[in-house]
Amino acid sequence: MSMFGSLGVSASGMGVYKTWIDAISDNVANINTVRPSDQPAFQRRMVVAQSVGGESGGVGDGARVAGIRLGDPEGRLRHDPDHPLADEDGNVRSPDIELSDEMTHLIVAQRSYQANVTVFERARDAYQRALEIGR
Amino acid sequence: MTISPIGAAGVSSTGPLSAASRTAPAADSSGFAGSITKALDELDQLHSSADSFATQAATGELESVTDYLVAATEAQLATQVTVAVRNRAVEAFNDIMRMPV
Repeated sequence: MSMFGSLGVSASGMGVYKTWIDAISDNVANINTVRPSDQPAFQRRMVVAQSVGGESGGVGDGARVAGIRLGDPEGRLRHDPDHPLADEDGNVRSPDIELSDEMTHLIVAQRSYQANVTVFERARDAYQRALEIGR
Repeated sequence: MTISPIGAAGVSSTGPLSAASRTAPAADSSGFAGSITKALDELDQLHSSADSFATQAATGELESVTDYLVAATEAQLATQVTVAVRNRAVEAFNDIMRMPV
């Protein structure tokens, strides 16, 4: 860990939650993306977070995005005969995304991002206070 | 940010001075001059990375606002630390110079 270690650790957390918010916005943007029934539906994006460092017992170096998992390609087969993409049976494929889930995750991601920003600011204030020792 | 980076060139002039004035033989990398030069080099790197993020922000290439603000804050704190250390060193030097002989 460098001289300003906690700044980098908080920044890594902010990066993870920024990616999560990006993924949620992608899911919400595509919640009405309908595809023909012979194609896979839009797959929900799920961010996988991973801790960095700290295996040898010390303080770790924060978090990072290990990857993006994709949701069910089956989606939801919906009967909508008037839809331009409907097949002979009148079915189209909608993504398997629940808007209430996405909004709940958005609140969690936003609050977690803010928590990391708060830690960052407190660490910065602590470092600045340390510079005033003996002044 | 238009702050011009503090290069090691400004400090190299203190090298011969400290080499002439020191009493005990020491390697150039050790001692106060060496450590302050090293600190200024690191500070220069932090500032140049913050500057490159600022350029990216101006040209619209910045991927993460967080990266820029973290780099800028680190550069700011490192500058404050370096200035504080330098001020203390100058203070100590002045204290020694004021010593009655």
